[in-house]
Amino acid sequence: MPSNTRYGKAALISAFVVGGGQIYSRRIWSGIVLAGLFYGSIALMVIIWTGINQAFWGLLAAWILFWVYNILDAYKGFRYQKPPCEKACPAGIAPWIYINLICNNSEEKYPFIPFFGTLEHICPAPCESECTRRGIDAAVAIKYLKRCVSMEEPGRAANARREKIAIIGAGPCGLSAAHYLGRKGYNVTVYEREEKPGGVLAILIPRFRLPDAMLDAEIKATLGPNVELKCDVEIGKDLKFEELLENYDAVLVAIGAWRATALGIPGEKIALSGFDVLRKIKNGERFDLGTVGVIGGGNTAIDAARSLRRQGNDVKIFYRRRIMDMPAEKEDRIEAQEEGIEIVPLTTPVEMKKGITVMTRTECTEGRKGGVEIVRDSEFEVKLDAVVITAGQWPESNFMKDHVTTDRHGRILTKNGRTSQPKIYAAGDAVLGSATVAHAVGQGLSVAEELDRRLRKVPGFWHRMVRREFLPGVRQISMHTDKKIEIPHRAVEERVKDFNEVELKAPNEELKKEACRCLTCPIKYNP
Amino acid sequence: MKLKRIVQTVAAIVQNSYIPAIFAGGIYQGFLKRACTPILNCWGCPLAWYSCPMGALQHFIGLRLIPFYIAGLFGAVGMTIGRMTCGWICPFGFFQDLLYKVKSFKMRLPGLFSYFKYVVLVGVAGIVVYVTAEPWFCKLCPDGSLIAGIPLVLFDKTGDLRALVGWHYYMKISVLIAVVVFSISIKRFFCRTFCPIGAIYSIFNRFSLFKLEVNDEKCIKCESCQTKCPMHVPIYRSASNIDCIRCLDCVKVCPTNAIKHKIR
Repeated sequence: MPSNTRYGKAALISAFVVGGGQIYSRRIWSGIVLAGLFYGSIALMVIIWTGINQAFWGLLAAWILFWVYNILDAYKGFRYQKPPCEKACPAGIAPWIYINLICNNSEEKYPFIPFFGTLEHICPAPCESECTRRGIDAAVAIKYLKRCVSMEEPGRAANARREKIAIIGAGPCGLSAAHYLGRKGYNVTVYEREEKPGGVLAILIPRFRLPDAMLDAEIKATLGPNVELKCDVEIGKDLKFEELLENYDAVLVAIGAWRATALGIPGEKIALSGFDVLRKIKNGERFDLGTVGVIGGGNTAIDAARSLRRQGNDVKIFYRRRIMDMPAEKEDRIEAQEEGIEIVPLTTPVEMKKGITVMTRTECTEGRKGGVEIVRDSEFEVKLDAVVITAGQWPESNFMKDHVTTDRHGRILTKNGRTSQPKIYAAGDAVLGSATVAHAVGQGLSVAEELDRRLRKVPGFWHRMVRREFLPGVRQISMHTDKKIEIPHRAVEERVKDFNEVELKAPNEELKKEACRCLTCPIKYNP
Repeated sequence: MKLKRIVQTVAAIVQNSYIPAIFAGGIYQGFLKRACTPILNCWGCPLAWYSCPMGALQHFIGLRLIPFYIAGLFGAVGMTIGRMTCGWICPFGFFQDLLYKVKSFKMRLPGLFSYFKYVVLVGVAGIVVYVTAEPWFCKLCPDGSLIAGIPLVLFDKTGDLRALVGWHYYMKISVLIAVVVFSISIKRFFCRTFCPIGAIYSIFNRFSLFKLEVNDEKCIKCESCQTKCPMHVPIYRSASNIDCIRCLDCVKVCPTNAIKHKIR
């Protein structure tokens, strides 16, 4: 099958000769059938021609419909039905394609996607929970297989354009959008409040989950031509938001969710915030606290607990719902438990004093969506030297509240990335609340696409019609009936001592075998 | 080759194999023409043995008579196997299946279009025919232009029919071209959107003796049945969907064998 670059030429050929473009892009049978039907119908009408009448215009309309469809087809290529893994991916990655490339030892490369390597390390892998193979034994290790994917270098930038775009926040979302828009030729300026780019990835995610070298390489790859990065500039403090609106053609708000919520209980002030702990540990500070209680069940809670554990503290996690309801990744939770972190479910604090925290039992039967009820007279005291609170984060969108509408948590209300004001766009955690890096990358790319479309003034329906899709030479693979591979981890005693990576790389043959467990749903299930 | 494709090919040949018409011209007008096939197959085709139930129905409606014969046929077939005839022996459905095999850019049909065939049934093939006493669905039917209109005019020996070609014939051909284009990009576009016979059978899908059953415990909701389905029916959600043509592809493709066919 053709690579992306040939589609434009194919459409041009199809405009002159119906079916020609299809044959040019090596879909020979499609081309022959389309040409046969089109020229066959013309030949039929020539043979039985009895002159022009009222219905001739209907005939002409039908031929034009055929012609337009044929050009569109040559431009877009054969469209497959999206398999479950691709449907589930918030970042818009098609796992089945790279799995197929691994399995066939293909020389083709997967198209560039920002933060692809990061997603391999920190992603809750919704694709794996949708994988069809789960119904037979266990899902293919889609996330782990990203390790041996060879990816294309980001392509050349398009011709430069006059429009200037400002992006607030150099996190995964902002940088993905900057990458996309920079390649399109816009002048992009990214403003970052911290000293270095990366957002959550650089500040919060501990080193044992995401190695520094990996992150630096990823950020370097996204900052291509036309993108300027300005660190240490806080919008609303160092630079006014109104100035941005005046000087730029569009502003993309990708500020993330950095406002930690308070629990609202007495004595809360003596507790530490999960953000602070993670940030300080990443900067090299040591915490020798003794017995630490971590309140919360999200990824931040698990990360904070594991980081503290690596500095020799005794850590317990208190969560108000059941263990199965925890929003944190299951894999990380199990690793944390292996490292000796105790998880106490159905418990919530009611009062904090120095050295002692009063807890109470809760009841929860409906999972994460349902409410939590406190069991009466079930208070008990736990001796904790320090408490770390990680209970939900929301965006800090106060500096722009005159310009956009937000909900009560501060999340910006958007439709397809557009806010209430036409010049301002928003994406990422600023819109979703605290979500995953995959969501941030996906939103960054899709909102950047929308922004590009609006600046070029292309109608939406036309944009959707002419959007191209990547399709490499995917072949049927002989399916393996083996069990899922066991991802090698470092020994527990060793890994609680330092901040090096926990997962190890499996040998290449093992990974290839794992890739061949894929059922190739799109090939099997498309007629 | 799959059993379904063999049956479809054989059925198309059995219904349209009056060989003498090729040499002598004209259409078969013998005893078998009194019988209707249970699917859409134009009786004007020079090779057709049987008559088309939709043509016969409109004939009776045009004469303002109650079509007992057609109603009995539809009722009997519908109550036993539902819409199964569409999936296995309809030549025009087979034609659309083949068109969809063309590797080209595919589109999805919004679910609401499935109900448009009732408008065609009641409006074009019912009220309009009753008022004007002309078979207006036949006048637009793309199956009629494909297997009857084109060969009759193209291989016309006497020249009488070719002299009759006018705006009506042009209109029929343009409808056929449009249906072909949409059938390449959308699964069984005509069956899902326009076919009045499908509309009648689809009412019986819920009550028919032969039916499909989905085991909810086994179903892993992989949607492979929907992607495989020639009508794009979400069979795992509604086993007796109005668009299910009982081709049984989903039974074969299901990775956990959750879909079973059974006789009530």
